Amino acid sequence: MVRHIVDARGSFCPGPITELIKTYRKAQTGDEIELLATDPAAKSDVAAWAAKSKNEVVEVKDEEGYIKIVIRVLSKGS
Amino acid sequence: MKRVVIVGGGTGGTILANNLSGKLRKEIERGQVEIIVLEGSESHIYQPGNIDIAFRGAEPEAFRRPPTKLLRRGVKLLQQPAKHIDLENRAVTFDEKKLNYDYLVVATGSVAAPEAVPGLAEASLIFHRSQEEAMRVWEALSAFKRGRIVILTALPHKCPPSPVEAVFLTDELMRKRGVRQDVEVIYATPYTRAYPAHGIADVVEPEMEKREITVQTLFNIDRVDHQVRRIYSLEGEELAYDLLIAIPPHRGADVVVKSEIGVDEGWIPTDKHTLNIKGHDDAYAIGDATNIPISKSGVVAHLEAVTAAEAIASQIHGISNTYLYNGRINCPLELGGHRAVFVSGTYTRQPEGQKPSLTKYLMKRIFNRLYWTMLSGSLEPIFKMYLGPTYEVK
Ligand SMILES: Cc1cc2nc3c(=O)[nH]c(=O)nc-3n(C[C@H](O)[C@H](O)[C@H](O)COP(=O)(O)OP(=O)(O)OC[C@H]3O[C@@H](n4cnc5c(N)ncnc54)[C@H](O)[C@@H]3O)c2cc1C
Repeated sequence: MVRHIVDARGSFCPGPITELIKTYRKAQTGDEIELLATDPAAKSDVAAWAAKSKNEVVEVKDEEGYIKIVIRVLSKGS
Repeated sequence: MKRVVIVGGGTGGTILANNLSGKLRKEIERGQVEIIVLEGSESHIYQPGNIDIAFRGAEPEAFRRPPTKLLRRGVKLLQQPAKHIDLENRAVTFDEKKLNYDYLVVATGSVAAPEAVPGLAEASLIFHRSQEEAMRVWEALSAFKRGRIVILTALPHKCPPSPVEAVFLTDELMRKRGVRQDVEVIYATPYTRAYPAHGIADVVEPEMEKREITVQTLFNIDRVDHQVRRIYSLEGEELAYDLLIAIPPHRGADVVVKSEIGVDEGWIPTDKHTLNIKGHDDAYAIGDATNIPISKSGVVAHLEAVTAAEAIASQIHGISNTYLYNGRINCPLELGGHRAVFVSGTYTRQPEGQKPSLTKYLMKRIFNRLYWTMLSGSLEPIFKMYLGPTYEVK
């Protein structure tokens, strides 16, 4: 299992989903992606994306000045 | 003598070279400093013009100029593609020659890479790659009478507003041609909303609804089968099309990939404030070429160029200031009907919703004309006034 750290802090446009998808494309089933974001929309965006793509959000944490979201890759959808 | 080498004479590289030559005019005249731009292309393209070519049938000539006409006196242009960048030995190779540098700026941009997605290159028309291809979009749209047009975005790509502009202008064109009732317009996006920044999505979505544009969200392209005209997503969905206009995933320039100075699809690891290539205080990357999580846009290339020029000039002048880019963005987004908004923010301020207006549309049109003058650096005081602070000095 690999944990990919994706630092999308400071990105509002195009925002953290862009960085997440870039990493998701190269991740393997079983990997974890730790996304760091300052965009408050990250929580709802990642939840919606994970539900649709059948991946799992395992942790959402408000850190000082940013949000940490950990996603477990369960499916590449194919 | 100090030598500054700039690889890439697009938006960022040209602004940086001109800006720096102004700051170092005396040193250049005395032969103490040399600024060299390596540019591989015969034409400098104003890329936002591709929207006008593809969706309004504009002539491409107005949107291109030879790089020789754009650089100020004091900047040397080598019309050669760089073949290799060696950060350890401070050298750039071109045409079998080696050029050593004291300061390096990599401004090689990004390219649309449909080949990264199986089937996409054969299936789609792409206005992000060249003026010629933008003209093909115009030809296809002008002849389209009935069926489904899908405008599809893949990540990452430059200019976040451009797919949405393409959607609105396609709708407008079909209405003008009197065929809209027989044409379905679908926007397929990997994001959860019609625009990644929610404040802007709040403006864009009702406009799309009003015009009966269907938005297919959370659609990450996996492959296309052009035989059956279907697009398949990573999320397991499929979408049929008659005409596919794509904004494909983009990648960094070949030279970045070949020199192994990029990560993932050739993005240069860059400090988002100082713009130094990570681990190299004599080398900078600006514009689309970096891995900074910010919009790949002309305005970012411009403001990063200004910040990096300050940093290099101050080092040459022996001043120990640090210049920190604040992530300022300000991209126009056209919604059709001669109305636009600006996607505006910084690393710490998210873009907010605003009322679309004719004034903002006119500002975008005026900028199309001002672009060539802007490259010279002579409009910098106006941009400073309009955009406010874009970097911090420490
Ligand atoms: C359709 C469209 C609409 C857009 N609209 C907007 C907009 O409204 N607002 C906005 O801010 N941005 C917009 N953009 C984005 C903007 O054009 C780019 O983000 C901007 O040009 C990036 O500047 P750059 O200097 O990083 O790269 P570029 O301007 O692309 O320049 C890179 C240069 O490097 C050169 N190069 C590459 N490899 C080498 C090599 N090996 N040796 C030498 N030279 C090399 C290339 O020839 C090129 O000239 C739009 C883009 C498109 C496609």
